Amino acid sequence: MGRRSLPLGLVLPAVALLALALGYPLVRQVVLSLQEFGLAQQFGAPPEWAGLGNYRDLLTDSGLWVVVLRTVAFCFVNAGLTFAIGLGLALLMARMSRPVRILAQCGLLLAWAMPVVAAMTVWQFLFDTEYGVVNWLLTKAGGDFTGHGWLLEPWSFFLVATIVVVWMSVPFVVFTLYAALTQVPEDVLEAAEIDGAGTWQRFVHVVLPAIRPVLLVVILLQVIWDLRVFTQIYTLQKAGGVSKDTNLLGTYIYTLGIKGGDFGTAAAAAMFMLVLTIVLTAPYVRLMLKQED
Amino acid sequence: MRKTEGKQAVRFNKKQALRSVAVVAVTALLGATSACGSDDGDGDGSKGGSGKAEIVVWLNGADTPDDARAWLKETFEDEHPGSTLTIEQQEWEGLVERLTTALTSTDQTPDVVEVGNTQAATFTTVGAFSDLTGDLDGLGGDDLLPGFVEAGSVDGKTFAVPYYAGSTYVFYRKDLFEKAGVTEVPATMADFVAAAKKLKQDSGQADFSGYWLPGKDWRDGAAFLWDAGGDFAAPDGDGWQATLSSPESIKGLETFQDLYTSASGAPADANESDPVTPFCAGKIGMMSRPGWVYGMLTDEESGCPELAEQVGVFALPGSDGAPAPVLLGGSNIAISAKSPHQDLARAAVELMLSEDYQTILAEAGLTPAKQSYASKLGDDEFAQATIEAASNAKLTPPAASWATVEGKFVLEDLYSRIAQGGDVEKLAAEADEQIDAELN
Repeated sequence: MGRRSLPLGLVLPAVALLALALGYPLVRQVVLSLQEFGLAQQFGAPPEWAGLGNYRDLLTDSGLWVVVLRTVAFCFVNAGLTFAIGLGLALLMARMSRPVRILAQCGLLLAWAMPVVAAMTVWQFLFDTEYGVVNWLLTKAGGDFTGHGWLLEPWSFFLVATIVVVWMSVPFVVFTLYAALTQVPEDVLEAAEIDGAGTWQRFVHVVLPAIRPVLLVVILLQVIWDLRVFTQIYTLQKAGGVSKDTNLLGTYIYTLGIKGGDFGTAAAAAMFMLVLTIVLTAPYVRLMLKQED
Repeated sequence: MRKTEGKQAVRFNKKQALRSVAVVAVTALLGATSACGSDDGDGDGSKGGSGKAEIVVWLNGADTPDDARAWLKETFEDEHPGSTLTIEQQEWEGLVERLTTALTSTDQTPDVVEVGNTQAATFTTVGAFSDLTGDLDGLGGDDLLPGFVEAGSVDGKTFAVPYYAGSTYVFYRKDLFEKAGVTEVPATMADFVAAAKKLKQDSGQADFSGYWLPGKDWRDGAAFLWDAGGDFAAPDGDGWQATLSSPESIKGLETFQDLYTSASGAPADANESDPVTPFCAGKIGMMSRPGWVYGMLTDEESGCPELAEQVGVFALPGSDGAPAPVLLGGSNIAISAKSPHQDLARAAVELMLSEDYQTILAEAGLTPAKQSYASKLGDDEFAQATIEAASNAKLTPPAASWATVEGKFVLEDLYSRIAQGGDVEKLAAEADEQIDAELN
């Protein structure tokens, strides 16, 4: 029990737990993706090795690439919208009077804290084909939306999904960016103003660089979250629409594995999604690492 | 998973023999286990099969009447003092996926599950259910509905027993028939289609259904496919060949499209789970629903008892005037192979097949699981329609992986797209491809 083993000993439990909590599922998934693993295996039959067969089946299936494109597009549109609206609201919040700000914060917090499934039930009611208030309002406003099926066409399905996802993610961006904005040094802003910098110039040259590290983290998290969006799509698919035309990677993997009972191919698809996430987020991670130096 | 975690951490502590490490590890471990162990607080107390346990029964949808549920719980708990029986209601939609995950876990599996007759094969062929072959005689033997015993059997062993049967028949509004000048209950498929269109025309409302047919309702849509001589798939050598593109099938699917377009006011992407709201809003002239829906329609709180007198029923007629081949609906019950309480679960299944319990089901319009109880349905027009509809009822293809076709919503997608006005031949060919891939 030398002096050197103490720090090591203190670190090891955390490492061991991490290895168990993150490493085990990952290893299991890699193994699974190389096996013929169906329902029978799930209930105890020995799995057969498939080598790279699952990956080959997956990559040669045109269905996957359509889903990938759709997922990436959905991710960037949603992350972009969330970020733009979030930043706008955060800037607005910094200029609000205290009571108004507290009111806005409460509203945002409620949207953020609402359990996804409960929120989805309400959104489904709003967009219901026959009895939805959205159709009713639009009809009152002069359009003919009686019996309009919002989830019927893929594009309007994703419009609804985007509204829901953005609505749910904006509060986090607002809170984080608002917190960052309060840390922008007042004296630098004042100095810039005295030197004749306008509002826009101050924003671009003082505020943005000051909150840059937080911006990067928020964008990174948003991209990851919007890539793996699942519950919202899954619930909307159950409410209506054609599931084959509206699958994103998350629901696609779920369809392969849990609904279709082909866990091997589903695991291979999940590995693919992991690689996609790493590729898409690599630039941000690199930027963040650079900043650390 | 949790156990190995604990073991490794303990071994590790001994090796290090460092108190501080132990504290850190234990704290971390407590954090880790409390996060994932919150939902099975009753897990440990009930193990060991000592005769006292908490039995969990999964029943699906609103099919099983409340009286039957209460009777089952009370009787079971009386007969097994110290044990409890909890009924957890599951939605039919997404049932296969929920069973796939729940049945594999010894800690979380329900003990007794209800499964749709067409879904049973998916689980019986992979060893998810306990073998009930030895108990078959005690549960009813040859008296049990043979088609359902067959649905629950594989390689001569029975893993799931019948729970109830029931096919949908047509509910109609007598007053609306009269108003539209439809004087007789339709006797052939052609009459039926004509009556449905007439009712819709007469109403003059876009969201009114002469025949209520939500776009995703392939289970009722199947009747038109079969009536035209088509089918979903046919055996082909060792495997299966999807047959939705056969000329007969196409004809049937076109009838469905025609009915949806000119007689239904239901959304093209809705399913058949909520007939009560539109019916009670006066938006339905006819609809195909199982008998127990009558109870929901006339319910004081959620239904519209004032319409009860106007409701008539008949079995959907086929092209030849005999009852049309409708989907033979119904359920099987099975015991999870992973359930630690096999004996108590068997006792619960016995109760569910008992005369008392099955009588309650029959009175609610469900065809009992034993043939000798059929008379308990009564002899009113509902019983008549039930018996007629069942006389020509048909099953989905008995392929082992049929449930994944259902689970992946292949048919919901197909019917919904047809309802949206899609090209029937093209959509049928696409669906054939998907079904072939799933079944073989």
